[in-house]
Amino acid sequence: MNMRMNLKRGLGGAGLVLGLMACHSTDQEAQPEQLFQQPANFPQPIYALDQNRPTVAGVALGKALFYDGILSRDGSISCAECHNQAYAFTHHQHDVSHGIDNQVGTRNALPIQNLAWASDFFWDGGVHSLDLVPIAPIENPVEMDEKTTNVISKLRASARYPSLFKAAFGSDEINGPRFLQALSQFMLTMVSGNSRYDKWVRKEPGGTLTDDEQAGLTAFRTKCSGCHTGELFTDNRFRNNGLFIQGSKDEGRAHVTELPEDRYTFKVPSLRNVEKTLPYMHDGRFYSLEAVLDHYAENVQRTENLDPLLMQTDKSGQVRLGIALTADEKRQIIAFLKTLTDDQFLRDPRFAVQ
Amino acid sequence: MRIHFSYQLIVSVLIASISVISCKKDDVDVIDPAVKNSVSIQFENRVGDQKLVLGTPAYKNAAGEPFALTTLNYFISNISLKKEDGTVQKFPNQYFLVRQADAASQVITLKDVPSGNYSEMSFMVGVDSAKSVSPVSERVGALDVTGYGTDGMYWSWNSGYIFLKIEGTSTAVPATVSASQSFAMHVGGYGGGWNGSAKTVNNLRTVTVPMTTKATVRGNIAPEIHLFVDALTIFNGPNKISLATTNSVHMPAAATPIADNYKTMFQVDHVHNDKQ
Ligand code: HEC
Ligand code: HEC
Repeated sequence: MNMRMNLKRGLGGAGLVLGLMACHSTDQEAQPEQLFQQPANFPQPIYALDQNRPTVAGVALGKALFYDGILSRDGSISCAECHNQAYAFTHHQHDVSHGIDNQVGTRNALPIQNLAWASDFFWDGGVHSLDLVPIAPIENPVEMDEKTTNVISKLRASARYPSLFKAAFGSDEINGPRFLQALSQFMLTMVSGNSRYDKWVRKEPGGTLTDDEQAGLTAFRTKCSGCHTGELFTDNRFRNNGLFIQGSKDEGRAHVTELPEDRYTFKVPSLRNVEKTLPYMHDGRFYSLEAVLDHYAENVQRTENLDPLLMQTDKSGQVRLGIALTADEKRQIIAFLKTLTDDQFLRDPRFAVQ
Repeated sequence: MRIHFSYQLIVSVLIASISVISCKKDDVDVIDPAVKNSVSIQFENRVGDQKLVLGTPAYKNAAGEPFALTTLNYFISNISLKKEDGTVQKFPNQYFLVRQADAASQVITLKDVPSGNYSEMSFMVGVDSAKSVSPVSERVGALDVTGYGTDGMYWSWNSGYIFLKIEGTSTAVPATVSASQSFAMHVGGYGGGWNGSAKTVNNLRTVTVPMTTKATVRGNIAPEIHLFVDALTIFNGPNKISLATTNSVHMPAAATPIADNYKTMFQVDHVHNDKQ
């Protein structure tokens, strides 16, 4: 009930009515009241929804595009290839993503969820608007290796898309801004906010946490929430969590800003659905949450720009790297992290391939 | 009586004013800013004292390195024209992409320029920071990020336009660096600061060029400003750039010396003020 009220505020009466009408005439399955939900325990979204509000037809177009290999050079790779619903839209079994001609990138795919609350995109925050994200995978030679200009031409020439654009935007003109906004509309609706943890916070049915999970939450709040902050479990900032510098020696945020103080800092990732988004970290180096917790407890490296939160000075003046965690605390934190799994989101037919 | 007198007066005033106007029309140059016309600006790209033709072998830079060009593209925006009295006419929200491969793109037209004698022009090479972070719905025409095809005037991984792109081949480029001995210099970087993030390198450059022959916009004169753009300055400007060592530039910091060079590559060669 709470959520419904919030949703109305988020959507605005007009959008809701419009959505209902459109739904009635075109798509029996779509649930207009769920087009974009702001869960009651979430903050205000960052994305400027008033400039590109999801509509039934806009979301349907975005979904069609998301699942269509036409966005890649040879038709073989769709967005969903690397963003698979069952794994919170990440690339399962791949530490770094595999794209066209089975070429390998250098980064681990990020989940597509709750993007309305993100301020910067990619591990290095190189893209500052969700609408601009798709150009990067489309034009990346090891991902989809296509020119966006050519994608637009292919869509114009297709039998399928002119009518979908017309339904979404009022005319069958296919252009870049519309293409990008439709993809955003679909991605914006991918909100994950119905995990057991959320229900517990909102005191909804099914919202129970075991003693271990609650102890894990308490430990998490004291030891992890300095960076994995708030209900999205990220402060949307860029930090160095002390990973050993290896492999591609990715400099993270500094790749974009060229500032020495940003070297080896990466976006603090949300931990929603983290049970499903393995492998972990920007290069997918850890295959289990146990390995992640062991890293924080025992393996934090004093590399350039290591975050001060991971360099505590104890009473005797000794600098201690990492986070002190007992075996019980690790186990409890992992138990808590698994309560962030949102099965409804992971199985939601609105996001699934047709 | 009174009525008759006024009638006469009006008629005589009318006759007098008509003769004054017609007299001015014939002999005196009235500048009425309410009367507008267009100004076109032609960017003629050259290499030193040679015509720039893509693919032509062996132009030579100051380092003595031979090179050929395959691409030269740059954005022009924020144009302003300054009158001899110092007032400035701005042309905001107009963005142009000049492409060597497309002759039509080398002439840009400003519409609705108020009559006046303009003695200086300035413009930005690149896309200003406000536009660089604007919503996609505003990115139309030259700014459509999906519209560049193989020209690729946009950095998808760093959300910014490439202000100037020069590409080609040179035997000075070590084959160990590029088997085809090709070079590519992409200059971008609008200064960051988005979402409260840190300021980053700003390679936006504003060029100001005087016009010895003024551009005299009138109801019957639409001036044409003809610029010589010497691409050699990209290598031979205040910073000397050698293709043996600088042949692949794709990040803002490394591109700054190039931006400082091309800031000086534009000059007004002549202005046509032909009556229409
Ligand atoms: C070849 C695999 C691959 C394909 C295909 C792909 N992506 Fe991604 N995606 C990734 C990887 C890897 C990342 C993380 C990249 C980085 O941070 O540098 C990512 C990141 C993202 C993000 C950023 C999420 C965040 O929280 O910052 C979004 C959004 C996204 N992709 C959407 C898309 C869309 C839309 C498409 C289709 C147009 C697409 N992806 C196609 C691999 C892929
Ligand atoms: C100093 C800030 C900071 C603290 C404190 C912190 N993290 Fe992180 N965390 C990060 C950053 C930054 C990353 C991404 C690093 C990278 O990939 O290079 C990350 C990544 C992770 C990931 C991987 C997520 C994914 O999708 O790949 C997990 C899981 C995680 N942290 C859990 C925790 C837990 C549990 C704690 C507390 C024990 C914790 N973190 C404390 C900053 C922090």
